[in-house]
Amino acid sequence: MVVGATLQARMREAGLAYLLLLPSLLFLAAFTYWPILRSLWFSFHDVVLGDSKIIWLGLENYQRLWEDRLFWKAFGNTAFYTIITIPVAITCALLMAVALDSKLRGMAIYRSAFFYPVMIPSVAAGMVWVFLYSASYGPINQGLRFIGMPDTAWLYDSTWALPAIMVMSVWKYSGYFMLILLAALKLVPSDLYEAARLDGVSAFDRLIHITLPLISPTLYFVVIIGLLHSYQIFDYVYVMTHGGPADATNVLTFYIYQNGFQYQDIGYASTLANVLLLFVGGLIAVIATVFGRRVHYLGR
Amino acid sequence: MSSKSTFGQAPHGISRRSLLATGAATVASATFLRGAQAQAKTKLQFMYPVGVSGDINKLVAGMIGKFNAAHPSIEVEAIYAGNYDNTEQKVMTAIGVGDPPSTFLPINSALQAFIGLDGLADVTAKAKADDIYKDFIPGFLETCVSDGKLYGLPFQPSTPVLYLNKTAMKEAGIAKAPETWTELMDVAKALTVREKGELKRWGLTIGGGWHDWVFECYCRQNELVPWTKDKVLFDNPAALDALEFWVKMEQAGVMPKASTWEGSANDFMAGRTAMLYHSTGSLTNLRKSSSFEVDVAFMPKNKTFGACQGGGPIMIAKKQSDAAIEASWTFARWMTSTEVQSQWGRDTGYLAVRKSSWETPEMKAYLQEVPQAKVALDQSAYAGAFLQVPGYSKVREYLKSALDRTLAGEIKPDAALKEANAASNREIQRLLRRRG
Repeated sequence: MVVGATLQARMREAGLAYLLLLPSLLFLAAFTYWPILRSLWFSFHDVVLGDSKIIWLGLENYQRLWEDRLFWKAFGNTAFYTIITIPVAITCALLMAVALDSKLRGMAIYRSAFFYPVMIPSVAAGMVWVFLYSASYGPINQGLRFIGMPDTAWLYDSTWALPAIMVMSVWKYSGYFMLILLAALKLVPSDLYEAARLDGVSAFDRLIHITLPLISPTLYFVVIIGLLHSYQIFDYVYVMTHGGPADATNVLTFYIYQNGFQYQDIGYASTLANVLLLFVGGLIAVIATVFGRRVHYLGR
Repeated sequence: MSSKSTFGQAPHGISRRSLLATGAATVASATFLRGAQAQAKTKLQFMYPVGVSGDINKLVAGMIGKFNAAHPSIEVEAIYAGNYDNTEQKVMTAIGVGDPPSTFLPINSALQAFIGLDGLADVTAKAKADDIYKDFIPGFLETCVSDGKLYGLPFQPSTPVLYLNKTAMKEAGIAKAPETWTELMDVAKALTVREKGELKRWGLTIGGGWHDWVFECYCRQNELVPWTKDKVLFDNPAALDALEFWVKMEQAGVMPKASTWEGSANDFMAGRTAMLYHSTGSLTNLRKSSSFEVDVAFMPKNKTFGACQGGGPIMIAKKQSDAAIEASWTFARWMTSTEVQSQWGRDTGYLAVRKSSWETPEMKAYLQEVPQAKVALDQSAYAGAFLQVPGYSKVREYLKSALDRTLAGEIKPDAALKEANAASNREIQRLLRRRG
């Protein structure tokens, strides 16, 4: 009798869980899973925006992708962007968070100041940086001129355009990561620091041996979020350079957009999207196995 | 009686049935009224881009207001859609879901793309019954023709022209605009200003973003139309010669490696480049917003003068009611009427599409005052349509990428053009396969 009652209770609980999940499941199915399946199907076809005619191609789109110089360039640009910006942004965020995790007066103002870039809409931020980077009247070049450096057309120079966007992106995202890390720092028990201090452990060692391990779950989270962000950069590229000059800032999401909407080549855009999905999924799996295992959960 | 119980019950003296009947009648009459209104007023959308430098939005809004005031049975809603690319994307997406805007203004190169989607109303018969074939300048009308059928009315044709900072030229002791490529190089050298190795002013800028359009003009100046209906000819020696000339100018330090469309116009107005290839549609803005005297010249020739048509026609969507198509035609016809074109041409610098527009007293007076405005019209005698191949938007990207990478020194001109040629023709073949 008792077993039956627990089973019934468990069933009821599961039923309730599914009921509560249903609305979000419906939305996910309609706007995420179904489009993913559809784009998988499209990638084996020749599909043109605005045209109902669909032609079976087999693997032709994938073969095209393999031979597409611009795909590899966009892929390389995206990877370069990710590999540099994530560690830099997270390091900046961590240093800011540690510096701001004190009980001094006016800290709230500093925190807001560093968080401020996150609140600016990305298109507006992009436009502001276009002005900052302007070759002739931009404040950055004016400053450099003052110390005797030559003018650089940051966003029109194929060497500097991508790094220029990366600098801006670090500025934009560090504050967000900082806020998350700051919340994690608050949860580190202060008696650990006190004990370490009594034992004469240096500030740097305290950071490495106490702070980092204890906020590692949050760091892990920030890395994953940062990775997803970096594969989604589109707005800055669209606003600031449109992928140019000479495709120096063309990244995968922008290239997908170009193919899908500018060239109306939905079949190929779907192929690119699938490859991106596979790649990001794979990358997250690698990070989860390598990094995720080292994460230290307090109290477990 | 509590308020709850009155709910659903008729007030005193009126039966529920009569109330329902009154309600139904009200709904019916409202529907009828709305129907009558819809019959009286046909609603149209006009989706348009801003493709040049200047306050085009205000001008278009003014024109639409005038049209609506003069046509009580039609209401046109103007939808600003960004640049030409954005406009085309929005229209194509709308065609895809079966709900296209009634009228739209794409770049003329998109003709084959829209025909491929079966998205355009054929207006040949309407145009023949009208004075279109008699009064429109044939070269402009030609950009809307495919297989002998007319698919729109040219509205804002343009060509690139060479803008010159006349004040800077006088200072450098240059009396006249360059007429050949060789002279162009010499003048650009003379106009480039560097102080202690630091650049103060470029001699020449080719408006980026549409530099492929200017490049086709350069090919035509070498007696090459770099495309036919089903392929491109970027690997032709005449195209290579043109690109090698660009590289020479870049390496001589008289021209930047890259620029943007709006940015280059701003640079010209601010005196940071002395000569500029840009659309004739930017004439009025460049002339009025520059602090110096602006001159306009033919693009210099090599073997011949050569140009190609930019700008776009007003096209009418096929998939809509006959009444909407009729109203759309009325609108397109009004936008390309003698007076409206004369005004639009003077306001922007776009070329009026009708012969009669050039004969209006206002236009004649304007040409007296601004003789530069006629340069592009004269030049259009040497102009043809721009890159009207299937998949032109991707082909443009291939070509632009080849030009950019060459000027950035990443690749040799011949390799770049060969690669762009192969990639473009593959894309064209893909789209032709869909039709075949």
